[in-house]
Amino acid sequence: MSNSILWYTTRGAGAVTLILLSTVVVLGILSTLRVQSASWPRFLTTALHRNLALLTVVFLVLHIVTAVVDPFTNLGWAAALIPFSSYYRRLWLGLGVISFELLAAIVITSLVRGVLGHRAWRAIHWLTYAAWPVGVVHGLGTGTDTLSAWMLAITAACVAAVGIAIVLRISAGWTDPLAAARADFQSSVDRREAR
Amino acid sequence: MALLGAPDTSSPLPDVDRRLIDAIERFRLVGRGGAGFPVATKWRAVAQRSRGNAVIVVNGAEGEPRSKKDRVLMAARPHLVLDGAFIAARVLRARRIVLYIGERHHAARDAMLRALAQRPEPERALVGVSAAPARYVAGAEAAAVHFLNEGIATPTNMPPYPFERGVGDAPTLVQNVETLAHVASLVRTGTAPSTALITIAGAVARPGVLEVDSQTTIADAVQMGGGLAGPARAVLVGGYFGTWVEASQAWSMSLDPSAMRKRGLGLGCGVIGLLPISRCPVCDTAGIMRYLAAESSAQCGPCFFGLRALADACTRVAERGSNPDDLKRLHRWAAEVRGRGACKHPDGAVLFLSSALTVFADDFAGHRAHDARQSA
Repeated sequence: MSNSILWYTTRGAGAVTLILLSTVVVLGILSTLRVQSASWPRFLTTALHRNLALLTVVFLVLHIVTAVVDPFTNLGWAAALIPFSSYYRRLWLGLGVISFELLAAIVITSLVRGVLGHRAWRAIHWLTYAAWPVGVVHGLGTGTDTLSAWMLAITAACVAAVGIAIVLRISAGWTDPLAAARADFQSSVDRREAR
Repeated sequence: MALLGAPDTSSPLPDVDRRLIDAIERFRLVGRGGAGFPVATKWRAVAQRSRGNAVIVVNGAEGEPRSKKDRVLMAARPHLVLDGAFIAARVLRARRIVLYIGERHHAARDAMLRALAQRPEPERALVGVSAAPARYVAGAEAAAVHFLNEGIATPTNMPPYPFERGVGDAPTLVQNVETLAHVASLVRTGTAPSTALITIAGAVARPGVLEVDSQTTIADAVQMGGGLAGPARAVLVGGYFGTWVEASQAWSMSLDPSAMRKRGLGLGCGVIGLLPISRCPVCDTAGIMRYLAAESSAQCGPCFFGLRALADACTRVAERGSNPDDLKRLHRWAAEVRGRGACKHPDGAVLFLSSALTVFADDFAGHRAHDARQSA
């Protein structure tokens, strides 16, 4: 049991990471949709999005560290950081590494958003739409518990939640509540014709 | 060398190089456009990146409603401003100078163009002229760069900063006209000018532009402006992004940047506005907040919705009388908006509002309904 505790932690942290990450993605999409109600103000969506994202990092690091230090797996740090360098399940672990590194880029750029500028931050944040599915496929491909009923239920629920959020996001289109006011102001300071 | 009042002539400039930046730093020149940013820091950032391709934007947009000092300086001492621009161009190895002058400042633009025509050809060939739209945010550094690149004078996200990627993607110095005159004065005399320009407005006999030194108190400035036109209640120091000060505390205050900084104040754009006791501070504050909200370029929610909500709450207090809900909202929203904008417009507006809520706390708490439009 003393050895398998690391292995169980890896599996458990992986499942928790999937749930947290999916929740963070859904909250992120909801914040772009400006969802709100009297009991759920918009700052709650963004604050939860941010804090759960940091919590996700904690569980993701736990998932990776316990997998690497588990003497039974003998993965090595290189396998955890270099995609497709693992002797063990090269493809599926490699996808996990890619997903982790994309998420690391997204989190780090968010922490230094003020220095980076909004446009670059936003472009990198779009990588979430790659990081999340790659992570899900990693779990489906290599998860020890993938075929257990409860893990299937968790994965299905996460995919459904994010899927619905994406459908809502796409169907909402690119509406901008400031578009009219902005166009109005810009027309007053627009001298392109005169130049 | 005085800024105003001295004859404006052009004579060949002494040789200047990068060491001028050290002198600027030693004399602690700060920008006179409003933000008071250290000039040497800005110049060094451009100098480090310039490969002989830098651009100098001479900022005479002066969109601040009560300010007149930039256009008075351009009209009276155009050669001194041009000197500053040409010095910057040499030190920063610039390829181009753009005179960005407010589209309604006709006398200033005409004087600058006349002075430019008297300059020798190699200098003159560097210079282009551009008319800044008459809106509050058009004078912001990023708005000037955006305008010169795209023709639309709205502030943009920073970074990239103008010194990194400005006009035509080249390292760009955007500097207020008075600041450039200070630099020219430093080069011509070997010492920084001991004076600065302010605009005195409101309850004074002769509102207008004054040249003051660091010993001048606000009371002195009022005397120079012909004395009070009536008893004053408070003084707005630094224009619409500035700070209210109780009149009784303002009189003895000297217009010295370092002394002002110690009191948490700044000369800002140099507007000293005197509020007469005949006017209601709550209604005037509401009027200015409505103006600043309307000047939002609507690029981000905190500015467009935040300033509008603040202006509406101020106006409700002004028109219907004080109520605890709106007072609570004003304090909370002012704190929430700060630092959230895509540019600094909302920060300036809530700084102004916060000082009004502090200095006029009793007026805001006990305000009785009267029509805001009469006063504001």
